[in-house]
Amino acid sequence: MSLAFQASQALPRGTDYLRILPELVLSIFGMIIMVLDPVVDQRRNQKALGTLALIGSLAAIASTLWQARAPGLAFWNMVQVDTFSVFFHFLITTITAVVILTSYEYMEVQQIRVGEYYALILFGAVGMCLMSSAVELVLIFIALEISSISTYILAGFRRRAAISSEASIKYFLLGSFATAFFLYGVALMFGATGSTSIPTIEQHLRSGSIPVLAYVAIALMFVGLGFKVAAAPFHVWTPDVYEGAPAPIVGFMSTAPKAAVFAVLLRIMFQIHAPGRLGLIWVAAALSMTLGNIGALVQQNVKRLLAYSSIAHAGYLLVAFAALPQNGIPSAMFYTASYAAMNIGAFAVVSHFGGAGERYVTLEDYSGLGRRSPVLAAALTLFLLSLIGIPITAGFFAKFYVFSAALQANLVGLVIIGVINSAVAAYYYLRVIVVVYMHDPRDESVLPAVPLELGAALAITALTTIYLGLLPGRVLDYASRSAGDLLH
Amino acid sequence: MNGPSLDTIILSLVTFIPAFGGLLLFFFPRRDRDIRVFALVVALLAFALSLHLPRYLHRAQAGFQYEIDKPWIPTPNIHYHMGVDGVSSWLVVLTTFLTPLCVLISWRSIHERVKEFFVLLLILESALIGVFVSLDLFLFYFFWEATLIPMALLIGMFGHGRRVYAAVKFFLYTMIASVFMLAGILWLYAKAGSFDFITIQNAIRNGKVEGFAAAAPWLFLGFFVAFAVKVPLFPFHTWLPDAHVEAPTAGSVLLAGVLLKMGTYGMLRFNLGFFPEQSRANAWWIAILALIGIIYGALVAMVQPNMKKLIAYSSISHLGFVVLGIFSFTPAGVAGAVFIMLAHGISTGALFMLAGILYERRHTYEISEFGGLATPMPRYAAFFLFIVLSSVGLPLLNGFVGEFLVLSGAFQAHAVYGVLGATGVIWSACYLLWMYQRVFFGKVRQPVNESLPDLDTREHLALWPAAAAALVMGVAPLLWLNTIQPAAQSAISPLGQIASKVITP
Amino acid sequence: MVPLSYYLVLSGVLFACGVTGFLIKRNIITIFMSIELMLNGVNLSFVAFAAHWHALSGQIFVFFVMVVAAAEAAVGLAIIIAVYRTRETLNVDQVNLLKL
Repeated sequence: MSLAFQASQALPRGTDYLRILPELVLSIFGMIIMVLDPVVDQRRNQKALGTLALIGSLAAIASTLWQARAPGLAFWNMVQVDTFSVFFHFLITTITAVVILTSYEYMEVQQIRVGEYYALILFGAVGMCLMSSAVELVLIFIALEISSISTYILAGFRRRAAISSEASIKYFLLGSFATAFFLYGVALMFGATGSTSIPTIEQHLRSGSIPVLAYVAIALMFVGLGFKVAAAPFHVWTPDVYEGAPAPIVGFMSTAPKAAVFAVLLRIMFQIHAPGRLGLIWVAAALSMTLGNIGALVQQNVKRLLAYSSIAHAGYLLVAFAALPQNGIPSAMFYTASYAAMNIGAFAVVSHFGGAGERYVTLEDYSGLGRRSPVLAAALTLFLLSLIGIPITAGFFAKFYVFSAALQANLVGLVIIGVINSAVAAYYYLRVIVVVYMHDPRDESVLPAVPLELGAALAITALTTIYLGLLPGRVLDYASRSAGDLLH
Repeated sequence: MNGPSLDTIILSLVTFIPAFGGLLLFFFPRRDRDIRVFALVVALLAFALSLHLPRYLHRAQAGFQYEIDKPWIPTPNIHYHMGVDGVSSWLVVLTTFLTPLCVLISWRSIHERVKEFFVLLLILESALIGVFVSLDLFLFYFFWEATLIPMALLIGMFGHGRRVYAAVKFFLYTMIASVFMLAGILWLYAKAGSFDFITIQNAIRNGKVEGFAAAAPWLFLGFFVAFAVKVPLFPFHTWLPDAHVEAPTAGSVLLAGVLLKMGTYGMLRFNLGFFPEQSRANAWWIAILALIGIIYGALVAMVQPNMKKLIAYSSISHLGFVVLGIFSFTPAGVAGAVFIMLAHGISTGALFMLAGILYERRHTYEISEFGGLATPMPRYAAFFLFIVLSSVGLPLLNGFVGEFLVLSGAFQAHAVYGVLGATGVIWSACYLLWMYQRVFFGKVRQPVNESLPDLDTREHLALWPAAAAALVMGVAPLLWLNTIQPAAQSAISPLGQIASKVITP
Repeated sequence: MVPLSYYLVLSGVLFACGVTGFLIKRNIITIFMSIELMLNGVNLSFVAFAAHWHALSGQIFVFFVMVVAAAEAAVGLAIIIAVYRTRETLNVDQVNLLKL
């Protein structure tokens, strides 16, 4: 950071802006939407604003790909573009695009006619993208806040529904609480090493004995980030917030911010060689898997069920963080991508099926879905099977890589806990499938047809789920190279 | 027909044509008749292609043929490796043979959600074939699990009264058991660096797998439990009667005809192939479990008031013979076991079809509901008798050959096994013939039964091939045994190096 | 000169006060203020460390934190108002449609 004050580099260079191009594109589109929102006709041009946001996220994908050709540092070593950051940029911007696709119909059905919905998604994506490329703890904090503040608002977007604003306030209070922990960790790390730049911290910690303060700092940062990824024992907010928030937003915030926070965790845990990593991760992973799955067993509300399942999946993912870096990083990255595909898909089905005011969200409402809409049911089944981890779905290889990475680090206990948990988890996912196919529908009314945009979103997520399950090689290769970049 | 190009892709074709057909069917408009016809055409096409396998198999040559081995996923090192030998090629044909019959038998009994039914049936067929042709453990495990979902859905969506319970029980039992196999597979992969069956087998034989000696007993058990639940071997059998009773007819046919054979096939291929020493060390209790299964299954079958449950328990008894034959480690026993697998597939498949035909007319499987059916349904009664006789092991029908071989193999291994096993043959004659007597002989007691229509053309079409196969297999068993024997011999050949006393017939 | 540890203890105490307040207070506004207290505890340690390392950056971070906290406050108060509109209460025990 001291570099920032050297006169020779007082002004940012052109390439610096290239390295934050996706963030710039997303911000600009977000601002355009904010400006246009009050001008255009609220009722008719809702879709136009959504399309603008979609174009924005596609442009961000394109700029990510463009940016990938010129990796390097920017803004006085605060931002680093490498294969690692490109991976997460691509993931987050794609998630954004798909979530926007799933939102069209939802906004129409829920009669929410506020354009800043799309703008907030884009702003959130800005923060998340920045988190994955930032190599400076204070910048990470700011990016984390950008993403969090957007999602706080998005969680409460069904303003007429009391549970939505309640979800929003809970998310906000617990989220800010967690952020404070993270920030305290940053402050202590600054105190321990005299820097907030990740490479400098790493050098400092590697060169001498590790101060106690650094252990405390890592623990506090982990608490803060653990809250954000809904890892136990910091998970209590998750089911409530997921139940209350709009379904497409749940799909969004259970994947994109998580991916970004996991990117940060990867940097902190592996790039810094965080001291005391194993113990923290071990406990959090074991607890998340177990508590998430046990919680999910008794749920009747599908959104809550998926919320508990997301806690459990955070646990599986954390297992990778206890492994050796060269296996742990790629397997964690693969897991985030797989989880994003299947979870957004599942929530897309939930949001379509929920109907006005999200009335149909209990397990009983899903009975006979296989009869009422074979396509939706087939898609949901695919996503659930992938969440279980059945072969040739993304979920299988995700779990496979994570557990084999853990085995190579001799974490037999953790793997056994994980495998037992996967078996338990199969039960509640199957319960949904059983209800969908084997119970008679309670309500024979015809479901609204799946609109084109939602169909596209379902197709994208389903194909990604199958692609990652059928040919995981390329993505894993890329993730392995990113791991190399991260570790130099 | 015999070009080299066809030989390399034939297995992929046979495996994936049904699933591809199912996928096409998924996008069909809901015109039930077209869907049925299309499903039948796809199933027949797969059958025609699969005939290529035994027809052009080099009989004298042991080892796998029609192999295809392509790298699929680099990490983990997964190959798309398929191949068949004399055992698996016939099991593939059994699968493709039974599927068209299943389509025919479900023609009218499935009238709701027809599309879903046939899609699932065709996907199930693909998965079943895949299990038999995979030579990569990962691929094998994938197909193994892939059979579960369509089967459970078939039971759960199209079954009778307690279908959900039966489907979930079936799924959980086999799923949980196969987790142990997955653990074993992953251990082997970690140590041998490959999922390839042949590579692992060679590595084990050459002692190149680190820590194998210590882990082998556990690995053996891991694989064995997964297979034993599928077979099902006593005491893992409790899911089977429920699944059968609730399943739709076609589900029962494939369940008894093919799915159970996945377990015995797995024992033959993997338990014997990877762990010959452990197989021999554990053979005594496995044989005892098999004998308990033979006798227990038969005794329970005898007192069943429900026709389908009776046939289900008879399956447990018959599959006990198969396990006994495999773990007798004699060429005759193993060849007989494979032959029973095929014969049981056809005769029990046919029995379930016959039970299903009756169910279509009366909507019950209770034996006490019937009686004197020979009068209103003479042709049906004739078919039933023929199949019952083939199932009890009447000479010149298919059941006899396998049981005879297995028992002679069991005698060679241990005389007590042979004697006890032989009682199973008697039991099976008792319960099946007694059931036959109660259903068909005597006077028609229920007035409803007086006017039951006899078989129609479609049902004839479904039953004739099965009956013909039962007869041909009994009259000319060498057609099958010629190809089975070399494979059976090579399946137990690793044992020959270990055991001093190998009995050759 | 006051030693560094004094500042750190004070910042720790402030942070702990904030945490305690967050956990035991029932009014949403008070809870929110507790979070602000936690952030200010952090700020104090940033400033103290900046003096310790003779690095100006630590003090600049405080500004960042304050700006972010202000943004958070704006959003937070808006959400609180939204809750108040639907529920007419700011007691967390009564904001309980979702079982925790």
